[in-house]
Amino acid sequence: SSHEHRLNFKKSKEVCLNYVQDAMLQKQWKRAAEFLTFYIESLEKDFSRECIGPSEMIWRIGTEILYRHSHSSMKEFSSFIEQMKTLGVKRYLKVCLEHAFHLLCNGLIDEAYQNLSLAESWQFGEQTAIQDKEMKLIQAYRGLLDYYSWSKQKNILLEHGLDGFEDLPAEQEMHHCFRKAAVNLKEIIKIPGVWDLFVKCYVDLLEFYGDRNEAHQVLSEYAYNSKFPANPNAHVYLYQFLKRHGESKKSLISVLKILHDIVPSHELMIDFNTMLQKSKKRKKRRLGLEVIFAALDYAGWKENVKAWNCMARQVKQIVISKKHLDWIKQEWNSRKDWWPAFHFSRYLAKRNWQGNESLSYEKALVAGILLGKDSKYFKYVSHQGCKAQVKRFRILKKFVNKHNPV
Amino acid sequence: MEFPAALFPSYFGAGSHLEERGPAPAAGWGEHGQVLEASPGRRQAEMAFMPRRGGMGESWKPADAAAVPLLPPSASSWIPSLVPQDILYHGVLHRKLQAGKSRVTLDFTKQLGHFFVDHPEDAFGSLGQLLHQNFYLGDSKLRRQARDSTIRMTALVEEINRLKARRGCPRQRLVPRLRWFSHLCRDWLFEVPLGLLADCVHKELLVQWAGLLFDDSPTGGALAWLSPEDVGAQMGCLVYPGGQAMNHLYFQDVVLEELPRARPSLTQFELNGRIRQVAAAQADGEDFVGVRSDYHCGVWRVPSRMSAAPTPLQVIHTNVPASCLTVSPHLPGELAICTQSGAVYLWSIETGLQRLRHDPQTMFFRDHSPWRWSDFTAHPRVLSCADRTGMQCLDARAPERCHFDLFKVGEEAGCQQGERVVLPMYLGRAHPSQHLITTQFSVYVVDERLPMVPMLKWPHMMKAPPLLAHLTPGGAGRSHKVVLGASLTQELLLLQYQGGSQSACQLVGPPQKLHSIAGCLQHLPTQLPHHHHLLQQRLCAPAAGLATALQKNGSHESLLVFQLSETGDVFCQRLIHEAVLTHEAAQSHAPTSGDEAVAAPGSSPLFETPAHSPLGLGNAVLRYHRWLKELSKGWGEHPRHNWPPTFSQKRLFTRKELETPMGPSTLHQQARQWLRHAMWEGGCIQCWDTSASKFCPLPPTMEPTAGLDSLSARLTASWTGDWCQWWEERSSFNMAQRQRALRERRRRQKRVRGRCSLSASFTSSLTYQSELSELSDTAPLPPPLSPTVLPREAGSSPQPSPVPDEALLSSQSLRCRGIPKERRKTLRDYLSVCADGPLEPQEPLESQASQACIPLAQSLSLSQALLS
Repeated sequence: SSHEHRLNFKKSKEVCLNYVQDAMLQKQWKRAAEFLTFYIESLEKDFSRECIGPSEMIWRIGTEILYRHSHSSMKEFSSFIEQMKTLGVKRYLKVCLEHAFHLLCNGLIDEAYQNLSLAESWQFGEQTAIQDKEMKLIQAYRGLLDYYSWSKQKNILLEHGLDGFEDLPAEQEMHHCFRKAAVNLKEIIKIPGVWDLFVKCYVDLLEFYGDRNEAHQVLSEYAYNSKFPANPNAHVYLYQFLKRHGESKKSLISVLKILHDIVPSHELMIDFNTMLQKSKKRKKRRLGLEVIFAALDYAGWKENVKAWNCMARQVKQIVISKKHLDWIKQEWNSRKDWWPAFHFSRYLAKRNWQGNESLSYEKALVAGILLGKDSKYFKYVSHQGCKAQVKRFRILKKFVNKHNPV
Repeated sequence: MEFPAALFPSYFGAGSHLEERGPAPAAGWGEHGQVLEASPGRRQAEMAFMPRRGGMGESWKPADAAAVPLLPPSASSWIPSLVPQDILYHGVLHRKLQAGKSRVTLDFTKQLGHFFVDHPEDAFGSLGQLLHQNFYLGDSKLRRQARDSTIRMTALVEEINRLKARRGCPRQRLVPRLRWFSHLCRDWLFEVPLGLLADCVHKELLVQWAGLLFDDSPTGGALAWLSPEDVGAQMGCLVYPGGQAMNHLYFQDVVLEELPRARPSLTQFELNGRIRQVAAAQADGEDFVGVRSDYHCGVWRVPSRMSAAPTPLQVIHTNVPASCLTVSPHLPGELAICTQSGAVYLWSIETGLQRLRHDPQTMFFRDHSPWRWSDFTAHPRVLSCADRTGMQCLDARAPERCHFDLFKVGEEAGCQQGERVVLPMYLGRAHPSQHLITTQFSVYVVDERLPMVPMLKWPHMMKAPPLLAHLTPGGAGRSHKVVLGASLTQELLLLQYQGGSQSACQLVGPPQKLHSIAGCLQHLPTQLPHHHHLLQQRLCAPAAGLATALQKNGSHESLLVFQLSETGDVFCQRLIHEAVLTHEAAQSHAPTSGDEAVAAPGSSPLFETPAHSPLGLGNAVLRYHRWLKELSKGWGEHPRHNWPPTFSQKRLFTRKELETPMGPSTLHQQARQWLRHAMWEGGCIQCWDTSASKFCPLPPTMEPTAGLDSLSARLTASWTGDWCQWWEERSSFNMAQRQRALRERRRRQKRVRGRCSLSASFTSSLTYQSELSELSDTAPLPPPLSPTVLPREAGSSPQPSPVPDEALLSSQSLRCRGIPKERRKTLRDYLSVCADGPLEPQEPLESQASQACIPLAQSLSLSQALLS
């Protein structure tokens, strides 16, 4: 009968859990909390060998209810979490981390810092791989908070510095914060991952203390190490760093070229195109045309006036100079079967004209050059433009009529 | 297209070392995941962090206590899908095996038996013909000279019947005669070699069983909502399948009111396959609707202005079942198709099919599932291509060379062991480079610009894998709403997320469960047990489609969620958006407003409690009453539709056995003694057959048939629950009598007049019909209950009236009787009218709108379109 009893107990536990879940999914937090108090009984006889045992479930569900319940206070929340920390050794770090997150989201930075420091000093036997990861994250977040206090002190000191007032202990305190932050941040960004926040802070620290080489190395490692995911932000940070320090156009272009290869639809492609258009080298101008064509392939750029302006400017330049018309031809060849329907349909002409006149102007210019004066888009927009007596549309019409389609 | 300036921190590991967790009941709760600085721009101000999961989100409150039927139930009887009982062995053996926690046993012998019974010609055709003179099935004894070449089979048949009746008896003994016969005939009796046939049946059973465990054919869902261009329009078009075999495609205009209302206009197409998926997208101001059945895919164009008829454009035929059909949101008339052979095609209306990939192997690791999926991406020439192991992006211009991995079941995305992709979906309407990927455990949002690293991950805790999903994009500063739907359990879950361009992706607000179709069962008025059972069966049918529509009415916003079930029922529920301010105000007034609306078990707020919005509720109740009434009409027509077949008593005994005189004999007493003894011991009676012929027959079973007096008939009718119908029948009984009398009179007159002249017979038959039709016009027809016109199956109900003998009416037999050709039709009409009676059901209205669609062979060259 003990077996039967165990079975019954298991069954009622499951039913109870279902009630809790149901109430939570219907946002009935009070009801869920009531059911949860019954569920806590299941801790008494925890025979389960499942990965998520009752204690973890109580932690998860209880936390969620306290997040959402309109009457819960931070004090209650903290006392609940403290109990949960003692409930499972394996989960201790995770619970601490989540607790710190919650404190951070509620603006309790100091409490979160204390919490993280406490968790950092925790030791229990041999750590599993997951616990190791969690510990590194705890250290990294503590480093981040150290960085923030460093930055705060730095600002105060800079203000005071202007007054010609020197505060040695404060400065020492600041350097102390720097060391604490730098150690932890440096540690985590070695591991493959997405560490945008940590990398930015670490680079800021290094830059302040004038260690430009180290900063450059960290950023190139973050961008180019193949073990890391192809994070566009890594390239953006590198580009911004190089730009900040007035590096040569060549190195900037090479960074953006790689970004273009990974994410042709990135917003920096406009800057890239402008930079390349200005270049004297033929090859670079050619690349600029490629870049802007590739960006406009993407649905997200469809109604971007800036991009169409870049496109129109470059295409117009090429047509007027009558040099390198073959560049446009080559780019157009692979797109002529779908760009007309994608960008230059009559429906779009109507919508663009109604929604954004300057967009329709730029697009009509490109359509006129690429598809000729008979293209639906150009015809509609130039007709509407002339009807509305807008001068630039008349000039546009003349221009397209004068120049043959590519 | 901006990329978030900073992303949430995360580890990135490569490899296949996956965590072993399995489905976890509460895994989705209580985690923020990671935090990020909320406003990195201003350093000086107070530090603020935002969580990856958490935050308030928008509040959407259900308007009603349950989902409400949108359309009247389709009158056509639903063919219930396969259930485990159909193919699993149940009986003593099964129970024994279950006790031992063994695997399920497929009832192979039953299926093989079905084949022999259902297709005797294929099973025994030629040998049966050869041998039929040598097998005798009569009761009488064989004559002496016949005995040399003929076997009497009666005893064998009896044995078989007895065996059937004793099925499941643990001490069942094999009858030596049967053993002998099967040993003798096994090798030569069957047309199809038995081993081969058994192999095929076994394979098919395994396939069917796999389908029962997880059926991926409805992936994507067969329901689509087409909204018109202008946002203010309170109209839209719902595209869904229906009909007996779900092979009719309906385009139904729906007016969005307090409760959405179907307009009478309905366009219908009949297809020659069960519709598995309906996909729709708007490109260049027009809606394109793709329809997938197993071996055919078709595309329709629906012009943007309302009430313009949809036009079928093209159909393609595939040799292997198609598993996916998606419509391009970028270019008009482009679709992506996948087949179970591992092929991915880009289908353009203008240029035809282009094969992008053909690989029967899965992409990242080996998985047996032939399921493939493809969708569009931010780049109109790049298609995503998914199987159970992950997702890649292919450039249609150079599919072999240009591709990259977007998502992989592995450590990169922190997947669990055994996790598999269930449904990918392009979220282009929310953000041009985002995709949703659901697995049986979690839901992911991935960004094409940062492949392999999920922007969001959340364990959805649903009981069945979400095969359906629908996105409602939120505008600037608003959250995007994703509704996930499971097929088998009908679960619906509303999630909200935001970000992707200026800020990193966040899951906001708690997930919210929406009403399932079956959830309304508890609110319905109490039914008779068997009606309740039928209703339950109907309402609990797996979900087959999901669509949402956003309705804006000034500052009021509501989200309509449509759900389609496998029976073809479309239910709908409204969620009302509560602006943040009013929500807080409401909370300060009445704390935990959500908790108050809890229904006590058994109560039915839908029908009983006073409404907080009386209009809406009243409407919902009315809808339900109409729906139930329509549905119960259908029940009357199919009595005992789904009951398992039972053996009648007659089969156990032959006629001769039943004829033996009654009266307690010694044998009877002996038998009774045995019985009592056996019952006492709890054992079985073993030597039974010696006295079998001496048993008294059981009294004939009571069957509620004709011949009852009116009181009994009324009582019987009220017990079965269709008393109303009985009364209607009764009141129309006199009418029928009068009709019969009239018919008899006409017939007599005709017999007299028939010999007079040819022309007279024509006029007489004409007048006869017109008289009848006059009469039938006066019959009380039920007034149309709702303005919608839905097709009703005319002849699906079993007609109790005498059916004209087909043989009699065939032109051949008429010619034999020397009736000239020009008169045959008249005669046939006449006879059929005689037999059918005047109450012919009305010509179904569907025929006006219906157009046969699939045989559209002229519109495209099939040879070019053939898929491998």
